[in-house]
Amino acid sequence: MNGARVTGCSLTKRFGHAVALDQLSLELAPGESLAVLGPNGAGKSTLLRLLAGLARPNAGTIEIDGAPAHRRSARRRIGYIGHATLLYPALTARENLVFAARLYGVPDPAERAAQLLEDAELGAAADEQVAGFSRGMAQRAAIARGLVHDPALVLLDEPFTGLDRSASERLLVRLATLRREGRSLVLVTHELAHAAQLADASLVLAKGRTVHTGRGEDAASLEDAYLAAVERAA
Amino acid sequence: MNVGLAIFWKDVLIEWRSRDRVVAMLLFSLLVVMIFQFSLPGGASADTQVYAPGLLWVAYVLAALFGLGRAFTLELENDALSGLALAPAERGWVFLGKALANLTILAPAQAATAFAFGLFFALDLTAVAAPLAGIVLLGSLGLCSVGTLFSAVAVRTRFREVMLPLLLLPLLVPIVSGSVRATTVLIATGSVPFEPIQLLVVTDVAYLIVCFLTFDYVLDE
Repeated sequence: MNGARVTGCSLTKRFGHAVALDQLSLELAPGESLAVLGPNGAGKSTLLRLLAGLARPNAGTIEIDGAPAHRRSARRRIGYIGHATLLYPALTARENLVFAARLYGVPDPAERAAQLLEDAELGAAADEQVAGFSRGMAQRAAIARGLVHDPALVLLDEPFTGLDRSASERLLVRLATLRREGRSLVLVTHELAHAAQLADASLVLAKGRTVHTGRGEDAASLEDAYLAAVERAA
Repeated sequence: MNVGLAIFWKDVLIEWRSRDRVVAMLLFSLLVVMIFQFSLPGGASADTQVYAPGLLWVAYVLAALFGLGRAFTLELENDALSGLALAPAERGWVFLGKALANLTILAPAQAATAFAFGLFFALDLTAVAAPLAGIVLLGSLGLCSVGTLFSAVAVRTRFREVMLPLLLLPLLVPIVSGSVRATTVLIATGSVPFEPIQLLVVTDVAYLIVCFLTFDYVLDE
């Protein structure tokens, strides 16, 4: 699996008068992983939605392998695992994945869904409606949905939120596997230990601006940068 | 095209499981028929048959507003709308899949309403059932195309229940006008008039093309 190259240049995003991102730039080489940290309202999720092509910047450019993020060719390479699961509660896990596979034009949707459900340890619950799933099960199904088309770039928005310790550890193993497979990862999280474990590089935001960038940092130095960002945002 | 079919299948399956919208629209349109029964001078009867086509389409439009308003609310839960916007396909296919599903979900309520109108107004619609179904299909196609587009626009606004009728009703004038005129002539003479059908076809085609092309911007945040 070849990862995707991500290039963001002077990104600005406003919602009315509020500036969510202000002149933010970032660069991610294929196969690299980036942790995006910062206090609430720093613009992390907005950045992720710009990278996914779900929103367009008011100024600046964002490219995935040279194509603007909102283009179809870029969307095909992106797997987005948001804070919400993107799943339909009235459908079963299998139906949700088959539907997602059909959206992405995956050749054999049923087989791909079955394979992903097994990987996510959801084989036994595959034909149960998602409405009855625990947060951990729904999160595993959401990750399977995000990977249904074998994306080169995986965007994750606070994937550890609401998970218990064992579910978090399983997710950590899953994300480490994705990284080993050579995918590019962008991980928005408040879990500094997980960020240090998974990311090659870090980007700390406060009030929509970059306040720190680093590479290969441990949890302690990430915490220092994070606390500085919180202070700046206060 | 596969994206449109996938969305159609998904929406119909979810509706089949819950039957939320079909039942709500059905009850709503039957209540509208009952209100007409009590509001017309002398009640709905053979004497007031002349009003029947217009009132039938008023019931259809109100029921459609009711159903279309909820077409995208199911996409808000778990942010599923973002899942549709992420699909690497022309977003017009998302629109077509949703519009086709809305048309299918609206059909049972329309059939039941037509039956109720036949009973209340002492109209024998069996002889004109097939051409009437064709007129209803043409009218509903235009109704569901702009309705789907504006339902997607309204769902992200603060007052979505108010926004949808405000945006939609002015654009339904040619659809309702063509449909009522065609239904009136059909019921009176048993033949399908050319001019209102022409208006419906032209409006449907124009609305479908415009909605297909503009849906890309509607799904953008």
